[in-house]
Amino acid sequence: MTRAILKFSKEITSEPITSQIIIEHKTPINILTAHIDQQGGEILVEIPSAQAEKIIEAFRKKGVTVEPHKPVKVDKEKCISCGACFSLCPVNAIKINEDFSVAFNDEKCLGSACRLCVDTCPVRAIKVGV
Amino acid sequence: MLENIRGCNTLEKRTVTEINEKIRQGEVQVLTVEEMKKLVEEKGVKKAFKEVDVVTTGTFGAMCSSGAVINLGHSDPPIKIQRAWINDVEVAHTGAAVDLYIGAAQMSETKPFEYGGGHVIEDLISGKEVELRAIAYGTACYPRTKIETLISKDDLNQFILLNFRNCYQRYVCATNSNDEILYTYMGKLLSHFGNATFSGAGELNPLMNDPDYETIGVGTRIFLGGTQGYVIGEGTQHDPRNQMGTLMVRGDCKKMSAEFIRGATFTKYGTTLYVGIGIPIPILNEEMAKKVAIRDEEIFVSIVDYGVPRRDRPKLRKVSYKELKSGKIVINDRTVKVSPLSSLKKAKEIAEILKHWIAEGIFYLSAPVERLPLDTVFKPMRQTRDIIFVEALMRQATTCREDESIEKVAKRIITNSVNHIVVVDAQEKLRGIITSWDITRAVAENKKSLTDIIIRKVITTTPNEPVEAAARKMTQHNISALPVINKEGKVLGIVTSEDVAKLIGGK
Repeated sequence: MTRAILKFSKEITSEPITSQIIIEHKTPINILTAHIDQQGGEILVEIPSAQAEKIIEAFRKKGVTVEPHKPVKVDKEKCISCGACFSLCPVNAIKINEDFSVAFNDEKCLGSACRLCVDTCPVRAIKVGV
Repeated sequence: MLENIRGCNTLEKRTVTEINEKIRQGEVQVLTVEEMKKLVEEKGVKKAFKEVDVVTTGTFGAMCSSGAVINLGHSDPPIKIQRAWINDVEVAHTGAAVDLYIGAAQMSETKPFEYGGGHVIEDLISGKEVELRAIAYGTACYPRTKIETLISKDDLNQFILLNFRNCYQRYVCATNSNDEILYTYMGKLLSHFGNATFSGAGELNPLMNDPDYETIGVGTRIFLGGTQGYVIGEGTQHDPRNQMGTLMVRGDCKKMSAEFIRGATFTKYGTTLYVGIGIPIPILNEEMAKKVAIRDEEIFVSIVDYGVPRRDRPKLRKVSYKELKSGKIVINDRTVKVSPLSSLKKAKEIAEILKHWIAEGIFYLSAPVERLPLDTVFKPMRQTRDIIFVEALMRQATTCREDESIEKVAKRIITNSVNHIVVVDAQEKLRGIITSWDITRAVAENKKSLTDIIIRKVITTTPNEPVEAAARKMTQHNISALPVINKEGKVLGIVTSEDVAKLIGGK
């Protein structure tokens, strides 16, 4: 699966772009998060990797800005393994190991589309979009 | 015969002096408290007591009541500081000319909520230069009225960590019933019991392993921030009867490591300091061996609803540290994730380091010269003015139904001279709110139906909420009124920012 951030400008929010692409390409697209209203916004989607290139191109043609999805980045030097972030993660991407160190799963992380953990870090070790 | 009796006695008891002699000779038997718990489980209390002289505990948690005393030395011409700032964080001047106290929770005036006294202490410990700025009124002996300079820890005469409350024996588990995210000193609490947080190291905590404060007291030498420090008494809010004892500690910051003293930020709450503390517990008798065997499943704390902004917050139930450390707890039949806030990894690391210091003969134990009190009571504040609740301030709400016309509602705003109309259904239950501004907008945007302009997400209050809490809601959401509702959502009245202002202004 390939993840991508789709950004919709104010002008195109009223069009059913995602549904059209799903129908045209007969490809299931999983919407993981959506923060969008009349003023525009973005959604995080999961596309079968084999079709990803084609689908992304199709979105671009319809005026959608496509950006690669990036998980949060943790500064291991700064992290004190307190675990404050752990309970905030909606997709279980943060794990507390047996030795109480904190591990992040980049595959699961929703990155900039979520950010719930970012401001919980007391030592500001979690960054997003880098 | 006499030899025999003495022999028996030494098996039943040992003293700190004897343990220190063993440290000197490199014969001391020291375990981390975790290893000791396992040993007691495997071999029993009697054997564990015979085999082990000392156990080491540890904790690494955030404590706002932390700070450092510094002495700057005198400038030329000298200054008697009146107010001072380090990296824009105001530091307290309550003593002689150039003695200052850097409080961990004091926030930067230029970067509030991101940088504070805790960070200043960490930066100084790391060897960084910081910017000192001070003003004074000037005296005959201290003529200078202003100074700006750079300082680092080597420039300071004293740089002493002086924490007036650390090392909580145990603490509560926090959750939030509210319909909004709360940012607290217990971290970020999601709405509708979406998560929970807890603090404290449970079975690793020093005081939890010496619950009667037999070996931890004034003068106990400890691991503090990566070096040796001392317990100087009970901490503020020391609450021994509720197993919530605290410690006051001091240590030399110049010898500390930023690995064990970290400035921190709790978003929208403030800044603080993570403090690493490790305390050795001499196993003086079998009873002590039994006490340090306490496990997380035997240590309980309350799950507390921080959604209620009162001193006595509702307690949902008791939960053990074992459950808390599993990462999941059940709240109202739903499993939610729970975050530790203190670092259990660091706590273990500290216990391990202290163990090595003792085994290697670089750390000797000290018996307390005075024990911590076992009977003090943590009292609430004396308040000489009554708390005012919403009930005293609320007035009748002007209401309307969803199917009424905009014109009719506009007229009601004029005749009742109000700014807010509460939308209710036939059962008087809250459906939304409309302000005079919404009516203006409807006219400007040519909206025809009331349903187009009703605000559905309404921030509300209840009759028994303190006025301060209601006022904070209005400020936070930038609104000027709150419908007052009961548990069933029935509208009882309205409280406006004008009424609150009158109340405060009238006093």
